[in-house]
Amino acid sequence: MSNNFARLGTYLWFLCRRERIISPIWIACIAGLSALFAGLYPSIAANDAEIYQLALTMTTPSMVAMMGPVYGMEDLSHASLMAQECLVWFLVAAAIMNIFLVNRHTRVDEELGRLEMFRAMPVGRLTGSLATIKLAFGVNLLVAAITTLAFIVLDIGGTTAAGAFAYGFSIGAVGFLFAALTLLAAQIFSTSRAVSAFGFVLLGVFYIMRAMGDVAENALSYISPLGLGLKVEAFYSNDVMPLIVLLVEGVVFVAIALAIAAVRDHGSGVIPARAGKAHASRFLKSPLGLAWRLSKGTSLGWAAGLFLLGVSYGSVCAEVDSFVEGSEMMQQFIGASATQSLLDGYVAVIFMIMSMLVSVPIVMTVLRIHSEEKRGRLEQVLSKAVPRVRLYGAFIFIALIESVVLELMLALGLWVTAGGQLALDVVVCASLCYLPAIWAIAGIAAVLVGFLPRLTALVWAVFGYAFVAMYFSKMMELPDWMLKATLFGNIPQLPVEDFTLVPLVVLTLVAVAFFALGLARFRTRDILTN
Amino acid sequence: MAIIEINGLVKDFGKFRALDGVDLAVEQGEVHAFLGPNGAGKSTTIRCLLGILRCTEGSVSMFGKDAWAHAVELHKRVAFVPGDVNLWSNFTGGEVIDLFLSLNGGKANEEKRAKYLELFELDPSKKCRTYSKGNRQKVALVAAFASDAELFVLDEPTSGLDPLMEKVFQNSITEIMKEGKTVLLSSHILSEVEKLADSVSIIREGKIVESGSMADIAAKAHGRTLEEFFLAEYEGK
Repeated sequence: MSNNFARLGTYLWFLCRRERIISPIWIACIAGLSALFAGLYPSIAANDAEIYQLALTMTTPSMVAMMGPVYGMEDLSHASLMAQECLVWFLVAAAIMNIFLVNRHTRVDEELGRLEMFRAMPVGRLTGSLATIKLAFGVNLLVAAITTLAFIVLDIGGTTAAGAFAYGFSIGAVGFLFAALTLLAAQIFSTSRAVSAFGFVLLGVFYIMRAMGDVAENALSYISPLGLGLKVEAFYSNDVMPLIVLLVEGVVFVAIALAIAAVRDHGSGVIPARAGKAHASRFLKSPLGLAWRLSKGTSLGWAAGLFLLGVSYGSVCAEVDSFVEGSEMMQQFIGASATQSLLDGYVAVIFMIMSMLVSVPIVMTVLRIHSEEKRGRLEQVLSKAVPRVRLYGAFIFIALIESVVLELMLALGLWVTAGGQLALDVVVCASLCYLPAIWAIAGIAAVLVGFLPRLTALVWAVFGYAFVAMYFSKMMELPDWMLKATLFGNIPQLPVEDFTLVPLVVLTLVAVAFFALGLARFRTRDILTN
Repeated sequence: MAIIEINGLVKDFGKFRALDGVDLAVEQGEVHAFLGPNGAGKSTTIRCLLGILRCTEGSVSMFGKDAWAHAVELHKRVAFVPGDVNLWSNFTGGEVIDLFLSLNGGKANEEKRAKYLELFELDPSKKCRTYSKGNRQKVALVAAFASDAELFVLDEPTSGLDPLMEKVFQNSITEIMKEGKTVLLSSHILSEVEKLADSVSIIREGKIVESGSMADIAAKAHGRTLEEFFLAEYEGK
């Protein structure tokens, strides 16, 4: 049976070579952001009283559901406050990193036929799986170790070596468990999409289990790896027991995965792929149907995600006064003054930032015209009796509808949990006001699709500028034109500011002009082919 | 009447001249083979014909109408099969065939669709990501043969097909020829060309270097086999 692992070392080396760019970026992001956030805490809360104030805002059920249980109120420090507010997000990030990492070296490679070539060489049947999980173990170890070191070096108030270890290795252990679960999923499902979908659904379920368990203080928190990871109580009790349990769970799942991998057929999964429809539905048989079918998955995913984001932001509304009072930074961010309601300021900021986020899937829908072109599929569609106007128009139409729906989902989500404080029409108006800005940035994408199809990524630079400029404008004084140039800066920020129609009409006209310009060029240019 | 008429077609990509004065005429009811080495300009010519690319100079027409200006209207009468069929991985083969058929504006002929699915032994309920190269090719072939097109533009349509399927393809061509259809067939399989083609054009480095009926070609071959003749033309000897 040792033949099952033949050439393990060589294969692992090959995987490390393939990972030499992506994994270091993930490691730097997770460890680096942890360090960055930790470094911010001394300025967020100046003294023990402020730390206590902030911790107090986290004891409400909705905050516990979002960030996890509060511990050690009698012995708070910058470090323990940071861990309580941030650790859960880094556990989620580590899980995502591992879902992608393991999937791309197992089921993705198998699907693309790359593993088959290795299996034809004197390489063991389980070499690929074991090398992948070893790689994942190493990457998680690095994340954990670097995060731990970063905390020790930063040495913010309340830092202990044991606490830094508990924090860092909680991320590593949860990450490794997700690597093991993804390896198992890669044996069970026969397509890489199903594997990553399973990983993300599992992550969502674990998050909700943790939220329910933490609020009700029951065993669900211990069953969910995300809940268990928080039980280390970093910078307080520094319990290592959860880490050991997570590791053992991980090893068990790896063993099950390897046992399945040893006996299953290459290319198949435990669950066979379902047979699909032999006929297209009536709706699909048109450019519009095609555009919708291609955008459907991401659109619905974003709709659900934005609704949940709205719900979570809305759930804070009840405590927003104390939340904002406790943080000077938040006050500055919202620009709160004595005369206007803090809640209104909070809502205005949420819609501005979230509307920028909404523009991401909208731009992606417009850019899909080009991604279809790049993959050689537009050529086939256009060889049929399909006018280019209709194809282009179909994607733009889907993008426009999508933008309205996503903004509404956001507003509804917020209203569901904050309905007590906010009227529905106020929230919906504040949200829909951002549509012209979203359309304008979608228009820029459309122009690029028409004129510079190879440089469509430039639209993300526009987006990035808008995001950075908006963020800094809240922290410091920026010239007015810098804000206007972001497109989003022209929108009246309801409910704090008064509604003005002119900028909305102007931006809408700009968007229409962009769409028309892009179309004019798209109609007459060569379709890119391989 | 010439179904396809290309005169002095020039296509530049930046400074690179891909086509340098291509002339091509395909008559109604014939199978016209379009031959040439890789990179000679076959696919570029076909893309200009389909209005995917805009020609730099010269004229390209189908059914007597300009291929760029009237692209959509003309495509209702055209079926196209590329040599490398790119499909949407989460669509089933059946869905793609229906989509292609309805995009062409015609009514889907259920009988024909079922007939060609069976002839090509294609399972339409499988997702495209699970199809092999040959099966992806079959999706485009079934969509083409099940249509009511009058002109078939086939760009290496049988790449990846097994010999049995190659035979099914040849029979299908013979069948549509009886219905008076016209075919432009780009291919590297010389036996296929020999069996099916009525006339031939050979392109090399963006120019047509040889053109004529199969009888003309046989006369020019001076006793050589067709294969020897074509290879000599490819090499430019």
